[in-house]
Formats: sequence, structure tokens, C-alpha cells
Amino acid sequence: MFQPASLKGVSPTPIDERIRKKFLILYIVIIILSLIPTSLFEFWYITLFWSETYFWIFFIVLPFNVFFSIYLIQLSAIMISVLFLKIINLIHVPREGKFKRSIEDRDYYFWTVRNIVKKWPLYVTASNPFPWLKNRFTLRFFGVKIGKKNICDNSWISSEFVSIGKNVIIGMNSTILSFAIEQDNFILKKIMVGDNVLIGAKCVLLPGTIIKQNAKLSAHSYTNHNHVLEENSIYSGHPAKLKENH
Amino acid sequence: MEEEVGPKFESELISTSGVYKTPFSLIILIQLFIGGLILFIVNLWFINSLYYLLTGIEFYSFGLKAEWYYWLLLPLNIYANIFLFVFTIILFSGGIFRVLNKLSPPQEGIFERGSKEWKYMHRRFWTAFFPIWLARALPLPWLDIIAYRSFGTRVGRSVVLYEGYVDPLFVEIGDFTMTSLNICIFSHLIYQDKVFIKKVKIGKACVVGPHTIITPGTIMEDFAVLGVNSYTAINQRLKGNLIHVGTPVSITLPIQSIEESQQKAVKTKESTISENTIQKKIDSHLQEE
Repeated sequence: MFQPASLKGVSPTPIDERIRKKFLILYIVIIILSLIPTSLFEFWYITLFWSETYFWIFFIVLPFNVFFSIYLIQLSAIMISVLFLKIINLIHVPREGKFKRSIEDRDYYFWTVRNIVKKWPLYVTASNPFPWLKNRFTLRFFGVKIGKKNICDNSWISSEFVSIGKNVIIGMNSTILSFAIEQDNFILKKIMVGDNVLIGAKCVLLPGTIIKQNAKLSAHSYTNHNHVLEENSIYSGHPAKLKENH
Repeated sequence: MEEEVGPKFESELISTSGVYKTPFSLIILIQLFIGGLILFIVNLWFINSLYYLLTGIEFYSFGLKAEWYYWLLLPLNIYANIFLFVFTIILFSGGIFRVLNKLSPPQEGIFERGSKEWKYMHRRFWTAFFPIWLARALPLPWLDIIAYRSFGTRVGRSVVLYEGYVDPLFVEIGDFTMTSLNICIFSHLIYQDKVFIKKVKIGKACVVGPHTIITPGTIMEDFAVLGVNSYTAINQRLKGNLIHVGTPVSITLPIQSIEESQQKAVKTKESTISENTIQKKIDSHLQEE
């Protein structure tokens, strides 16, 4: 079981301590690069609006400037991390499977590198008042398929190997994990959630679960590895069992 | 008096806080704008003095002219501004909340998707969202309780509310209760195309454990304890002075006093010691043989 203590935090992106040391410079470079557009914007703003005769325009437009620059930081952070992600994916293509949790295993190594790259934009977008920015905006840039008219703002969704259909409701504090760590093994598998699915509060989906159309998962329940929930049915329990079939 | 509830709600427990088709970004933007406007008006004197320091000309003629002490007051000003911003937003959104309550008075019962109550429930949710988010972003733990009180929820004295989700309407929390991390207190429940709203009552000095869900209609009596990782069924009544555990709650355990638990601990120690002595005797017998 793996549930967030606070919804304000970042989506689950655990990073291996042994690999973090090597890529600390990359992390700092991403932060600095994402701050450059805002600093350019501020320079442009001061040169354009500051004059002795029309000084009052400078102060009146200042709140809008602050508001705009905050969102410029978030957008540029996403763009730069996506650029770095594409370069890393050229070196090693991400794939599903069962791997060893050691530095020599290339899949595990590059998975943590990808998490390091995604950490800054996810942190920035998680800490702002608009709830849709983290899950419904940033995750789409990282390759997560999320359909229209969804409600998944108050949940943790991992940033890879997840596809969610249309009209899906995902409840409070529920987590969707496409990775799992079992002692020395490390598992990556895709999660598929169909259209019109309803997932209750505090559910946990483990890697490999497939939820088909119109299925409903009751609150406070979790699914197993490679669990398949059938169409038009209701599931609940630890792990989820069939309760009703329409 | 217990109201009759449809059979679907008794058997199933699918609860979410799903909210959409509301202009919530607009509501948040209006709240931000009002907060910023009041901030700007209050800080006009400070901006004026900064302008005077930089250029030697006044921003407006009737203000105070600041000197070197401007820079001493600046950090204090920033801190005060943060609190001013949060309090104005809490008060303003509390006002919006009251206006929404007057437009359609909140009711308990079962409503269909797209009905008036459904829409107003979502609007109320989103007016409450941003001030609570802001209050929890600040390091003062009592700010979110003030935010809840501004929406009209009854929260008692010295209540602990961490970052759990609590519905702003139809929730009553008594004095001295403690709620731990990652809890959901729902007074509404979405099932298929219907929403079910009923009042939740939490008594005095209750403890709500971590990772729990409290569903609509539950009543916790005084001094009741809800255990870890459990949820309550709809319209359940948790008796006082007992620990309740289960998914949904089915097991009740007595709360032991400290003396009782100490006595038990001593007894278990004695029993383990006596077992050891018996085994030693057996071993010595075996050696003799």
C-alpha cells in the first residue's frame, strides 16, 4: 500500500540515491535554464514600462507581470524537461518488463534519470493554486494519455506508462502506480483505464491493471499486479473482488 | 429519527469528490484579483516611499516621506502582506459562500446529476478550495480552521486538522478532536448519476486515525476512536469510549486505561520469565539424565 500523506506534494517519482549524485548537475542546469525566459521577460518589462512621466503604468501592470512570470516559469520548466527527456529517450528507449534494482541494469538506471528530469516541473506545477495544472496539463507532455472531461486533480498519477480514457472520475487521494519495487526486483508495466470508469477515494492501482469500460472500483480498495477488471461491473476489497455484474 | 436511504447506497461504497463543468479557474482568478487589489491599496504608502527614495519625487502628494527606516520596515511589510492577502481571500470567499447558500439553501438527500443542488454543491466546493489551499501553505496550523469557520462549518476549540480533506458543508466537529494525516471526511457521496448528501457529526475528544474515510451520515459519539486504515458505512453510529476498526467498521475494542495496560505488560513479562525457568529446569533434568 502506498498512499500520499499530502496532496500538495509531487507525484511518486522515487530517485535512487546512488544515481542522484551523478546527475545533480543536470538537475541544477534544468532549473537555471527554465528561469532564463522569465528573467528576459522582466528585463523587457522594465525597459519598456519604466519612464519618469508614465511611472504609474509600471505599478498598475506590476501584479499582472508577477502573475504572468510565475506561469512562464512553469511552462518553460515543462518545455526544457521535455527536451531533455527526448534526448535521453534517444540514448535508451523506455520499455516495460521485470528488471534488477541495481546500477548495472540499464532500464532501472535510465528510469531514475527520467525521474530526475521530471522532478522540477512536477514540483513547480504541484505547488500552485490551479489544481488541473499538475495532472491534466504537465503529465500530457510526458506522454501520459489522459482523455477529455476527466476528474483526476486530487490524485497521484505516475508519469509514465499510464493511459486513461474519457469521462473518468478518480477520487480523492487515490494513487495510480505503473512501477513497483519488490526487494531486488523492479517492475514496470502499463496501466490501462477505459472510458466512463469510476474509481473511488483512496484506491491503489498496481502495475499491469486493466480497467475496462464502465467498471467501478469501490473506495478504499486496491488491485493486484496484472489485475483485469471486467466491463459493467463493480469491484471492492483488498485486493478487489467482483461484487456485482450488470 | 433516521431517514430511509435507497438500497444502492447501503450496499455500495463508491465515494469520490469528482467535480467538473464548473468555471473554477474563474472563481480562483476572482479571489486572487480581490486579494491583490486590497494588497495594492494598503501598500500604496510603501510604494510611494520607495518611489520617493529612488527618484526624489512623490508618487502622490499627501503621503508620508520615508527615510532610512524604510529598509528596516521592508521585511516586516512583506510578512504582513502575506497574512493580509490570505485573510482577505478567506473573508471574501466566505462571503461568496454565504451568498451561494442564500441562492440555493443547502439540503440533505439524494439528487440527480445536473440538478440545481448538484451544481451548487460544485460551486461551493470550488469557492472553499483556494482559501483552504492557501491557509495550508502557511506555517500556522490554525489558519485552515479559521477558513472552515468562515464557511459556517462548526469546528470546536483546539481541534487538529492536518492536510486531510474535509467537506465545508454539513460537517460538525466537537472540541479537542484530533484527525491525523490523509483522512477524508465526506458529507457527500457520488454513485453513478446521483449524489447523496447527509450530515456528519464528530463528537468531543474523538480521534480519527490515518488513512480513514468517514462517509455521509456517520455519527461519532464523544471519546470514540476510529482505527487506522478503516472506513465507516453510511448512516453508521460509532459508540463512545471504544476503538472502531474494519472496512467497513465491524470490530469494536475497549480503550484500556494506562494502569490496565501496564498490569497486562507486567503479566506477560512474568509469564515469559516463568516459561524460561521451566525450560531451564527441563534442560537441567535432561543433563542429569
